[in-house]
Amino acid sequence: MDPNLQLMLYVIPTVVGFLLVLPFSKALTGPLVGTFPSLATERGRLFGGLKLITLSGFAVSVQTLWISSKVSEGGNYCSSTSVFSCDDVIGNSMYNTDPVFGLPWGGIGMMVFALLLYFTLTTSAEPNELWVSNYLKMGTLVTVLGIPVILLLISYEYKIEKICQYCTTAHVANIAALVGFFRLMRMSETPEWNEKPEKKGA
Amino acid sequence: MKTTHGEEADIRTSSAIQVMSLVFIGIIIIASTTNPIATGTDEGERAPALEGKMYDGGGWTEFDLDSYWDYNWDSSDVTGVWMLLEFMDTDCPYCVQSASEMSANSEDFSSRENAWDGALVNFVASATELSIEGHESSRDEIVAFRDKTPNSGQKCAGSACESRPGDAHSFPYIDDLDQDNMKEWNVGGTPSYYLIQPDGIIAWSSSEHPGEEPRDAILAFCAKENFEGA
Repeated sequence: MDPNLQLMLYVIPTVVGFLLVLPFSKALTGPLVGTFPSLATERGRLFGGLKLITLSGFAVSVQTLWISSKVSEGGNYCSSTSVFSCDDVIGNSMYNTDPVFGLPWGGIGMMVFALLLYFTLTTSAEPNELWVSNYLKMGTLVTVLGIPVILLLISYEYKIEKICQYCTTAHVANIAALVGFFRLMRMSETPEWNEKPEKKGA
Repeated sequence: MKTTHGEEADIRTSSAIQVMSLVFIGIIIIASTTNPIATGTDEGERAPALEGKMYDGGGWTEFDLDSYWDYNWDSSDVTGVWMLLEFMDTDCPYCVQSASEMSANSEDFSSRENAWDGALVNFVASATELSIEGHESSRDEIVAFRDKTPNSGQKCAGSACESRPGDAHSFPYIDDLDQDNMKEWNVGGTPSYYLIQPDGIIAWSSSEHPGEEPRDAILAFCAKENFEGA
């Protein structure tokens, strides 16, 4: 399968998830509430969006780690002469691991999104438990810490003069997850947290 | 409505199991479909990038080490071309001394002219400028060192570059005066040598075999009898 077409498997759920965690998501999801009742509340939309985002972020990170391993064998996956060439970024031995521990960025992304997915699954399953607030704060903190890492990785792409479209998808997923966790964290302190879905005709 | 501690633990534990299962599935997919090779300068690792301007006798042109590799090379294939990479400094006395060995090695192993029937070896030198007083170098000095240019006026380790031992070299010299490549390869001193397989994997590194010469490594790895069915 064409790498850019395969990338859509991650881009589409990330974008849909991002739209769900944005403040105007209610206007977008109106027609879908009948099929997906959880989208009727703001909390439901945020959790739904976060599930899509964290799962896509996890999957694209796994694929990035796979590409990194494939390129190290000497293979090609998404090499291109254009500016969009993830092989050139992920396969660059100077920049494809973190500068402290030497871990591949794809592996770090995989673990981070797995943690965010865990926070999302647990808090959405038991939204009124005492630990939920802490989990949402930790989710926000982890995604905030991702921002300087994203900026570092963008600086690498600038130096290499290539853009890794798989990495960019993971970066967008982190930013979308930040929006989702932050809004959930704020909302958990308000009565809106336990808002009931509006009944039809009410 | 609050739930009991037992149920709380169950939600968190079951979610952890679900997420860890996903992580393991991801790792299993990667492990079963790839065979990653670390990039580095130890034997068995994939040679890092090495880029820059090279002088091959006709002027300074782009060099990219990656373009030399045949990733489909099979270890029984004697026709694959190996590479001997030297990190050197034109002002390093030992590099000047060993220039004659590099001349002899390239003449013996880079073509069939001298009845060499093993795998052919490309020779490349990466010329740096060590941060030591008296080691000021330049592209003109690299050219004078490689070509043994008469009356160049360039000094290599205190003597005229054309007086260095050995014949003029026919292999390319890369400009690494800024030490970029040397740093990326973690080269501790000059001269340092790497014998690299046709697929870009480092087979021999002089730093891991003190006392061994590049010729010993070439004879050990590239002799015809080393290749099954050759």
